[in-house]
Amino acid sequence: MRGRTPLLALRQVSRYFGAVEALVDVDLEVHAHEVVALVGDNGAGKSTLAKVVAGVLSPSSGQVEVDGEPVTISSPSVANQLGVASVFQDLAVCENLDVTANVFLGQELRGRAGLLRDGEMETETRALLEHLTIRIPSVRTPLRHLSAGQRQAVVIARTLIGQPRIVVLDEPTAALSVAQTAEVLTHIQRLRELGLGVILISHNLNDVRAVSDRIEVLRHGRNNGSFPASATHEEILAAITGAA
Amino acid sequence: MVGSQSSLREANRARVVDAVKRHGGLTQVELTGATGLSPATVSTIVKELVAAELVEVRNTIRSGRRAQLVTLAHRVGLVAGVLVGARQLTVAVADVSHEVLAEQVLPLPAEHRADTSLDRAALLVVDLLERVGSELDEVLGIGLGLPAPVDAASGQVTVRGILRGWDGVPVAQVLSKRLARPVFVDNDANLGALAESTVGAAREVHDALYVRAGHGVGAGIVLAGRVHRGVAGTAGEIGHVQVDPAGNICSCGSRGCLDTVVGDRALLEPLRSSHGNLTLSDVVRLTNEDDPGCREIVADAGTVVGGVVAGLATSLNPELVVVGGVLAATGEVFLGPMREALRRRTLLQQVTPLEVVPAALGTRAELEGALALALQHTDLLEQPDTGPNGPGDVAVGQVRTGKGNR
Repeated sequence: MRGRTPLLALRQVSRYFGAVEALVDVDLEVHAHEVVALVGDNGAGKSTLAKVVAGVLSPSSGQVEVDGEPVTISSPSVANQLGVASVFQDLAVCENLDVTANVFLGQELRGRAGLLRDGEMETETRALLEHLTIRIPSVRTPLRHLSAGQRQAVVIARTLIGQPRIVVLDEPTAALSVAQTAEVLTHIQRLRELGLGVILISHNLNDVRAVSDRIEVLRHGRNNGSFPASATHEEILAAITGAA
Repeated sequence: MVGSQSSLREANRARVVDAVKRHGGLTQVELTGATGLSPATVSTIVKELVAAELVEVRNTIRSGRRAQLVTLAHRVGLVAGVLVGARQLTVAVADVSHEVLAEQVLPLPAEHRADTSLDRAALLVVDLLERVGSELDEVLGIGLGLPAPVDAASGQVTVRGILRGWDGVPVAQVLSKRLARPVFVDNDANLGALAESTVGAAREVHDALYVRAGHGVGAGIVLAGRVHRGVAGTAGEIGHVQVDPAGNICSCGSRGCLDTVVGDRALLEPLRSSHGNLTLSDVVRLTNEDDPGCREIVADAGTVVGGVVAGLATSLNPELVVVGGVLAATGEVFLGPMREALRRRTLLQQVTPLEVVPAALGTRAELEGALALALQHTDLLEQPDTGPNGPGDVAVGQVRTGKGNR
């Protein structure tokens, strides 16, 4: 079933900002069809790690492997080519553009004369929303008219353009209502069902334990425990705070 | 051409109704986007549907502007159904004709706790009502299902350890205090039995068993058309029938219960080395995709569950066994071996051989049951003297007035 080689592996990855040790010798593996949660206190290095995977930051030392092959993710577009799609905390959507334009932002389909293939993008967006069971009435609605949860859904749909194999979600349920959280968690389950590897970064242990296969704890930039989803709230909390 | 035009009109009407159903409530402008029809067509169709009393239009605000919210027509009042599962919470709002207006699923962590989950359930009920443009006071009652034996009056779990994190919580009281609406609680398998015997596969049957096979196994017993709960609400808890005297200790504290053999952990563990980390729904999906290992696990579970159901059926002599829960979604892979195990018992083959059928409501049976439970009680509240359900209903009145403790 599951390949023995992880889709993505970080081996002894470190990243320093001057004297700040954001990541120190961090190991992480993500397999296909798996949701790996990354939890930790503020400043534990979660977002730095996400940015390393997304090609926004390059590691100071250590190795990143995709399909067991060492790679250098030197930029977000390289990450894209390697099949890594990311969603950051600040969603980076264009409020004035509609759902279709936001889903295809920067990856627009173009015809021979460089003209946008609008109809095709619209059809594909509709299919994507359907696929992820996202409920947004119209793909022509400008983003400013959507709720926070719907925007998050649009951004998750965007990650699927270009058929990625790994999706990194940084705090996707922060500042969402319960119903919107429910939607987003359901989308994450759907990504897993589609066979993708998902890295889920979140503060909310409840959400994390609801959808993850494995929970990796970071503390002061270092690995501080790996837990199955069945681990108790207390065990994980202890690892986050360093009580264990 | 006249014929095709009227069928086009029919199709467009169906599209509008579908879109409203899918989203709970949509403004006319949103309907235009969702259906791809022109604003004029949408407006005409909505008018027709309002006249036919299929949808309702009410004023709302969208993006700071006044707009017309189109929802399905609500008859008389609303009920809410809350189904607490091992790994997910489902909340639905329906009208008294049993039409589900809005629904939402929230994944839950393993061993979730009553305080967080009930808080989220309450917020989801309010959120869904908002989605269909209604207020809390339109809700006549809330039906709630728990995956453990419960005391129908207080909604408290009666056996400690089975649903860790919910022990000692007066569920009905907590939620009815929070939402100021009457809350009725029952075991999930009992709710499945209620739904299947009122609108599902056991509709015309007096004595039936409903078997729910999912994260754990439970059964609902219908005798003479009524769900039998027992003195402590543990009737039909076949998940805690002993099948292996030398087996593991179960969450209830006894040894070798059915749940320790076919519960989710027991089913997933043997697949770990070959298939990696799977969830129960992965196993169901892979079984339906013909994965041999998963089929083996599900079929063996069917045999074991069938053996225990055979014992229950021999004691109660039902006419029909209805099988629900996620494992039933594997169809004959699970049902076949179960049927085979029942066929071997001679007593079950007399006069009318015991039939085994999948739940007509599928995995929705329990949620429909929660809605049915709320509806049943709201009918009773309107006509207190004619209730067919007897003494159990006194306790319901207590919950309603907030005196949940017995």
